[in-house]
Amino acid sequence: MASLVSSPFTLPSLKADQLSSLSQKHYFLHSFLPKKTIQTNPKSSMKVKCAAIGNGLFTQTTPEVRRIVPENNQNLPTVKIVYVVLEAQYQSSLTAAVQSLNENSKFASYEVVGYLVEELRDESTYKTFCKDLEDANIFIGSLIFVEELALKVKTAVEKERDRLDAVLVFPSMPEVMRLNKLGSFSMSQLGQSKSPFFQLLKRKKQGAGFAESMLKLVRTLPKVLKYLPSDKAQDARLYILSLQFWLGGSPDNLQNFLKMISVSYVPALKGKKIEYSDPVLFLDNGIWHPLAPTMFDDVKEYLNWYGTRKDANEKLKGPNVPVIGLILQRSHIVTGDDGHYVAVIMELEARGAKVIPIFAGALDFSGPVERFLIDPVTKKPMVNSVVSLTGFALVGGPARQDHPRAVEALRKLDVPYIVALPLVFQTTEEWLNSTLGLHPIQVALQVALPELDGGMEPIVFAGRDPRTGKSHALHKRVEQLCTRAIRWAELKRKSKAEKKLAITVFSFPPDKGNIGTAAYLNVFSSIYSVLKDLKKDGYNVEGLPETSEALIEDIIHDKEAQFSSPNLNIAYKMGVREYQSLTPYATALEENWGKPPGNLNSDGENLLVYGKQYGNVFIGVQPTFGYEGDPMRLLFSKSASPHHGFAAYYSFVEKIFNADAVLHFGTHGSLEFMPGKQVGMSDVCYPDSLIGNIPNVYYYAANNPSEATIAKRRSYANTISYLTPPAENAGLYKGLKQLSELISSYQSLKDTGRGPQIVSSIISTAKQCNLDKDVELPDEGEEIPAKERDLVVGKVYSKIMEIESRLLPCGLHVIGEPPSAMEAVATLVNIAALNRPEDGISSLPTILAETVGQNIEEVYRGSDKGILKDVELLRQITEASRGAISAFVERTTNKKGQVVDVTNKLSSILGFGINEPWVQYLSNTKFYRADREKLRTLFQFLGECLKLVVADNELGSLKQALEGKYVEPGPGGDPIRNPKVLPTGKNIHALDPQAIPTTAAMQSAKVVVDRLIERQKADNGGKYPETIALVLWGTDNIKTYGESLAQVLWMIGVKPVADTFGRVNRVEPVSLEELGRPRIDVVVNCSGVFRDLFINQMNLLDRAVKMVAELDEPADQNYVRKHALEQAEALGIDVREAATRVFSNASGSYSSNINLAVENSSWNDENQLQDMYLSRKSFAFDCDAPGAGMMEKRQVFEMVLSTADATFQNLDSSEISLTDVSHYFDSDPTNLVQNLRKDKKKPSAYIADTTTANAQVRTLSETVRLDARTKLLNPKWYEGMMSSGYEGVREIEKRLTNTVGWSATSGQVDNWVYEEANSTFIQDEEMLNRLISTNPNSFRKLVQTFLEANGRGYWETSQENIEKLRQLYSEVEDKIEGIDR
Amino acid sequence: MAPNPLQSLHYHHHHHHSLLRLQHSDSQPTSSLFLKPRTSISTATNTSLSLSISSSSSTTTTFSISPTTSITPSASQTFSLDLLRQHLSTQNLRQADEETRRLLIVLAGEATQKRGYVFFSEVQFISEKDLKAIDELWKQYSNNKFGYSIQKRIWQKNAGKDFTKFFLKVGWMKKLDTEVVQYNYRSFPNEFIWELNDDTPEGHLPLTNALRGTQLLNSILNHPAFEDIKEEDEVDGENKHGKPDNGLREEENSSKPLSKRLFKPNYSF
Repeated sequence: MASLVSSPFTLPSLKADQLSSLSQKHYFLHSFLPKKTIQTNPKSSMKVKCAAIGNGLFTQTTPEVRRIVPENNQNLPTVKIVYVVLEAQYQSSLTAAVQSLNENSKFASYEVVGYLVEELRDESTYKTFCKDLEDANIFIGSLIFVEELALKVKTAVEKERDRLDAVLVFPSMPEVMRLNKLGSFSMSQLGQSKSPFFQLLKRKKQGAGFAESMLKLVRTLPKVLKYLPSDKAQDARLYILSLQFWLGGSPDNLQNFLKMISVSYVPALKGKKIEYSDPVLFLDNGIWHPLAPTMFDDVKEYLNWYGTRKDANEKLKGPNVPVIGLILQRSHIVTGDDGHYVAVIMELEARGAKVIPIFAGALDFSGPVERFLIDPVTKKPMVNSVVSLTGFALVGGPARQDHPRAVEALRKLDVPYIVALPLVFQTTEEWLNSTLGLHPIQVALQVALPELDGGMEPIVFAGRDPRTGKSHALHKRVEQLCTRAIRWAELKRKSKAEKKLAITVFSFPPDKGNIGTAAYLNVFSSIYSVLKDLKKDGYNVEGLPETSEALIEDIIHDKEAQFSSPNLNIAYKMGVREYQSLTPYATALEENWGKPPGNLNSDGENLLVYGKQYGNVFIGVQPTFGYEGDPMRLLFSKSASPHHGFAAYYSFVEKIFNADAVLHFGTHGSLEFMPGKQVGMSDVCYPDSLIGNIPNVYYYAANNPSEATIAKRRSYANTISYLTPPAENAGLYKGLKQLSELISSYQSLKDTGRGPQIVSSIISTAKQCNLDKDVELPDEGEEIPAKERDLVVGKVYSKIMEIESRLLPCGLHVIGEPPSAMEAVATLVNIAALNRPEDGISSLPTILAETVGQNIEEVYRGSDKGILKDVELLRQITEASRGAISAFVERTTNKKGQVVDVTNKLSSILGFGINEPWVQYLSNTKFYRADREKLRTLFQFLGECLKLVVADNELGSLKQALEGKYVEPGPGGDPIRNPKVLPTGKNIHALDPQAIPTTAAMQSAKVVVDRLIERQKADNGGKYPETIALVLWGTDNIKTYGESLAQVLWMIGVKPVADTFGRVNRVEPVSLEELGRPRIDVVVNCSGVFRDLFINQMNLLDRAVKMVAELDEPADQNYVRKHALEQAEALGIDVREAATRVFSNASGSYSSNINLAVENSSWNDENQLQDMYLSRKSFAFDCDAPGAGMMEKRQVFEMVLSTADATFQNLDSSEISLTDVSHYFDSDPTNLVQNLRKDKKKPSAYIADTTTANAQVRTLSETVRLDARTKLLNPKWYEGMMSSGYEGVREIEKRLTNTVGWSATSGQVDNWVYEEANSTFIQDEEMLNRLISTNPNSFRKLVQTFLEANGRGYWETSQENIEKLRQLYSEVEDKIEGIDR
Repeated sequence: MAPNPLQSLHYHHHHHHSLLRLQHSDSQPTSSLFLKPRTSISTATNTSLSLSISSSSSTTTTFSISPTTSITPSASQTFSLDLLRQHLSTQNLRQADEETRRLLIVLAGEATQKRGYVFFSEVQFISEKDLKAIDELWKQYSNNKFGYSIQKRIWQKNAGKDFTKFFLKVGWMKKLDTEVVQYNYRSFPNEFIWELNDDTPEGHLPLTNALRGTQLLNSILNHPAFEDIKEEDEVDGENKHGKPDNGLREEENSSKPLSKRLFKPNYSF
């Protein structure tokens, strides 16, 4: 039997400093950093520098490689051209044009210098640019859509505009477009003029309208202008011709373009006879193949030609091969920069796939997709999968996207849609060197935006040559892309019966009780339900057991496994040699894990793959990271490679089992968090190597778009959303229920003389329920004046109502089993509680409060204060809301409780206004006079929501994905805030990272920040906090459109400024007068996921902080500046550098690992946890050297943390609260701050709760109590969990473990929480037995956690309790290990 | 013309052998391929791209031009090994390299010449004899250090048919100075070695760039001209773990790279 004393604490007592020397090696193992920056000095070697060679920017290329200075032996007039482009493909074409002009021209010699937009970030390059403009004749710009840089271009060119002979700007931001001038033709009035010309150019609301209308202009206008003799028309005509030349792109066209402009506008050449030809026009849209003699504008013609190819065999020409559609940018073809396209075409054809490569010159590809890839007669797709090689969103390119139109076109096409990308802003080497991977602006433009179209697999397939600017294939990446495209195509071609599917489940943390973990999901029941359905559909699922319990048994073998029996069912034993031959990267893992097989997922000789096969379906258990129990690695590895067993699992799935697709089952696994670049994987990034060639379909919780996005980008998943379980109100139980009854009798009897007696019962019951920490209660027996009684009762009442109405997801969701209508009521009530002014919808509480002449906001405030009548009114409003909505739902439901045909029911309801069920219901309440119009609008909306909540698309979408169809994209998030999340079963995406924070988010943020500061002042003698330490989460910011991001901005007193396209790339300070308080300093801890998704916003924040630190303001009004000055002094650096406040993990690493340490009990003391936090979370993003990625700035991090007066986090949706996940405590620095502070004072810890209409700022301990009361200790919750069986027990254990996590990081957990948990789960014999028999492994962990809580001093209890736990532990341990006593 | 020799090589799955042969000899009389001297490789491509080419960093654009300095337009379109021999005999490797690529373009056919680079599926049109002759010259003047057949042996034996490994062996890629081992293409022409030294990697020349991926090189190395380079049983160097214990798989594995074996491609162009 295991010794209890040692079991949770078996770690060798290594101190952090001892560890550091041991693990230095691990620390650096997985960075992609250049070696030279790592110094030998151990101290400084902890500082990680990145690719910050040279200017610290993303690109180090210089325009000098593009400069051509003519020899000009014949003293010809010189024409100097300066250009700025996004598209490097123009570089070689322009260079060629100018070279040949200089060779052949007898009239002029041409000097040219070109800038790639991104290079202008560099100050000295920008200076050169300005200087070049000073003596330039002609300026040319194209596709300048990055606001910061657009403004730089504008400023520089504007100065010289009058002097310049010609300024030509092709599609760009309006600010830059306005610079256009050719003689009398000018665009300076763009957007303001009423002339039809400008009207045409004005951007339309629809999508890529702007660029589209320009092109339309190009097509139609020349004809018109021919007949207009005036000079003006001539100038306009030349502009249009210029655009045609430009879009024609070939060196010939560009040569003629330059001739035309110089002879027409350069004074020295005016009147000279310089001949130029008209532009050679290419098709706007069409089909292109490198071998074809011509471009095609008809797919049939193309295929006819394809059939005559003499280099290809009959098979390729025949009908039985995969057909891949490719989407290409015309500019690459016409400028001759097409090597990377040719590479993809060759690779696909060599692999036996036919290609249909289509191109478009404009930014809207939806038309060409429909025209060339869908058979006009049958309406069926002519391709099996589509790969866009442009990197851009289907409609709108870098300008204004129109996702609905893109989705529409792709839905018609209905094949898998992959968006791969060539490097644009970086050279090949810069990308390889970067730990971030892809340039953040390219991530925003070419990864995030295509995702909104349903695009998958952002594989970087082409690099960029630093000198020619040309694109070139990355041969391994091209292979990866092409194989994957064909594999997706095969899903479309293969029959269901022959398709092989590998279902992968997780085990977090590694424990047998945790097999099949996923957030909110009953994994095995769901798998069972999926498989039953697939079987019916024609898939081969031979031997599937009769029940889902039997399925669990099969895979776990035996929940109460014998000690000697293997843990899990072994599906395959892989010999070491086989493993090595199947896993090309196996040697790379040895540095971390030694020679295979190692001791994880291994029997010492073979690597073991756990799982079980049924026909063509394999259910396997994903191995874990492998270092969860290893404190050394947890502390120091920025990231670690997968272990051999992990790699063997994926090698098995791909190469032995030969899966046609892998289905990762539920949120979330380890694959996508394996080390590698953040976005834009290279050959050596583990997620890419592991997933190999297998199409990846991933069931993901709809409320977690951020991590889903990581899975999407790093493991190429088609993420299909599933619903979180229907929420219910927490309700009241035990003492809390008694309290509510007492309060009710107080209200009816308070004036009868029994008042004082009831109040004293209320007080004593409240104390029994431990409410005395949340509500100030008078001592028992103390005489309370009559007029104060109401307030005492009101406060308790308010607290109780808060608990009662808390939403919690009950039980676990099962795929294929949508909630019944009645189960959706609580969700609908909460949807109805939010005002939606943008849709003209008033919330139900607002309407009801108005009915009785009240303002709901005031009712909320009053209720918060405990004013009895407000609490009571709020309760009545809540009750009436529930009643009205239940009445409505009942009417749309059949006898079985399922929703039937909401639309019809609804219209019949709406047809007879008098019979509206909610009106009927309300007529019996005090709200009988509620505004019917407003109610009708609201309920119409609720009807739509109801339909979506109960929709059953999750299985359907999975089947679509497996059949090689297009899965429609949809946002992830909180269905209550954003019902567009529904129905589930969509390919989840995040949002355009440049779209946040929105104005609305800024508004809400102000409210929360003001309340937070108010609260802190109240608790802290009226003093403003000088520094607040807070956390930014990816998911929160997606759900709330950047509320927490906006909070940071508001704390330091700045506001975001949006550009013409509504993108936020700039901030400006709010004056101290307007702010009305000092600027509060911040320490921003960004989660790894936030860093991956929102690096642009980290950049924005860093700029904001630095801007504020540099404001000339008194230190007592600007704490950012105050602290930065102090830190600059102490560290001997400048203020700007000292003003570093935006931290996260190193690139490619996630979380502080405190969660893993806590979950695995693998830590010694709190100092060790704090060390983990500091060493893993002290990486800063520097807006002055963005290309450097994340750099370690631990000193500043510690210094600024030591000034924190408060720590702060947000809760933004009801289904994830403090103890539901380990993330919240993982990132909590409360105890750490205390340790770092000079006065060792514990900072206040706050949690903002914006889950309900009535936003709250509570202390952390209040929130922990609230969470414990509504979940862990609430019979409604734990019984709900128990009904999910095996997984339910684990959920209960998880809450307790997370509670211990809070004790460890913040010390804000009350003793009674553990005590009550102990009496609920251990002292209750019946409960105890249910837990043991349902999931003994998880129960053992539960007992262990109780003991740990006691052992670590977080829970004081009786010796008796501890004895019982110890005894239980050994009993269950023996039982699990099969030892008979 | 060699009747589509690739068809008989390496691929087991095609059934249209004879049909294709027939078609080819019908539609493409042998003479038209090699004997028609063209006046230029399309001047536009030639002049306009030449500049951008010389300075690119990957093994880059070399296909799209014929070197302007060393070749007279009239000579450029006929197939003659004289120039190559001349360059090689004078150890003018840079020019010999360019000439080799030009010859491949000429040999691959008329359309190739217009385009300026060889599409992988056109390699089958190059005759065994001609390709061997080119290879022989390289070997002859390099003490068997350079040439396609040398490259084929390295690719097959030392690199396990993995192109990244191959590129490293022959010195076409370089290791980057990053913590995780990564490679980038060498920059053309400066980072290549244009002399036959002791430390010049075996197989370094002639160059076939990866600008358009590896399929062209793959086709060249699989050309029947180099069929007799047998895949020797055990592989030396780092690939020693490369074989599974399963006998059947081993056999399969040695004939094709794993990814391709599993993928069942059809290469029968």
